[in-house]
Amino acid sequence: MSNRKLSAFIDALVSGRRPAKFAASPNDAEALRIAITLRAARPDDDAGPDEQFISNLYRELAGQQASRAAADVRLFKPRRAYVALGAVAAGLVLVAGTATVTDAINKPAVTASAVPVPGGQVMSTATFETVDHRVLGQIVAYNSHPSWVFMDVDVANYQGRIFCMLQAHNGSTLAMGAFDLHGGVGEFSKALHVDIGGLKGAELVSPTGSIVGSATFA
Amino acid sequence: MFRARQQARPPDRQQAVSSGGDASHLRLVSADVYTDWESVYRDNVERLYRLMYARVGNRPDAEDLTAEVFRTALGPLRLASSKGEVRSYLLVTARTVLASHWRRQLGRPVTSIDPSADLGYLAEPSGPDGPSDAPYRTAPILAALPDRYRRVLELRFLEACSIKEVATSMNISVSNAKVLQHRALHMAAKVAQELGR
Repeated sequence: MSNRKLSAFIDALVSGRRPAKFAASPNDAEALRIAITLRAARPDDDAGPDEQFISNLYRELAGQQASRAAADVRLFKPRRAYVALGAVAAGLVLVAGTATVTDAINKPAVTASAVPVPGGQVMSTATFETVDHRVLGQIVAYNSHPSWVFMDVDVANYQGRIFCMLQAHNGSTLAMGAFDLHGGVGEFSKALHVDIGGLKGAELVSPTGSIVGSATFA
Repeated sequence: MFRARQQARPPDRQQAVSSGGDASHLRLVSADVYTDWESVYRDNVERLYRLMYARVGNRPDAEDLTAEVFRTALGPLRLASSKGEVRSYLLVTARTVLASHWRRQLGRPVTSIDPSADLGYLAEPSGPDGPSDAPYRTAPILAALPDRYRRVLELRFLEACSIKEVATSMNISVSNAKVLQHRALHMAAKVAQELGR
């Protein structure tokens, strides 16, 4: 007889909790079908999804899509010059950042600015930061045909795969790809057929969908 | 027994132009299409959640199942499919996900999704006033019950009363309230069968 378990299932249903498993009889199933229909007819907030749920699931799916994209596309093998240029540019950002922080000791406001780049091409740079403003690394986007993006990150206590999502000014998100951090450190570069000027920033996302850091292009 | 797990074929093509030559390789892309997975997600997540909630009656399970549908469906989904094709595909996936849920949870199906009959959940319009057939389905069932059975179900399921509150409200003992609820549910199930709901 499963009356006690049936009652427990119904109690959970009425109070909005997740009901426990049990082996239901056909009669139980009939009663539960009615109970669920009645519960769903109650006018309450649970009938609509929670905003937090929607955004968390979005992030998880974005990570999943990025992982698939990384597996599907041919890995971009950046020419040495690009990597070197990216590394130099990232270094310039670090230097500029250091200078800005140094200046900030004497100045009340900090203004982010793009670093001038060799060749006069359009290059955007940004700093990856955690929500509590710890610096995780740099990203450099170079506008050309194709455009390319380079990033250099150092995330304490992180090991394994991390995903990069690029955010456009129009609100859309582009899965750039995934790369591995070893001892928290890693570099990644990729050619993209996009207008870098349309990019607003980037996010580093863990495989579970949580945001590790974000960057906004200056 | 459960229906065999259905392999939903994702929508992967639009109507082809058939005038021959190179044109046969062109595809008609309607304005009513999804162009990226994000628009598929944003346009359907709330609708799909509401459908799942109507089928499981609690938020935690509805959220888990909604997430499982998107995790399963988005991978093989080809973009530039019409909204109707994508929604049908999501519903077929949702049917499979829900069937698996009940198999794990209770060992038998309790509620199900019919991709044809439930298409209204994913169709326009969406939002807080989105379609729900629950009140339509429950009103005739409750109306057909004896007063005390109807009252115990209304208090429990529509007014969210605990079994103690039901007992107090109906001036009966807690154990009587449990028995009354149990009998009322089984009678309501029979009424629903008779009414074909």
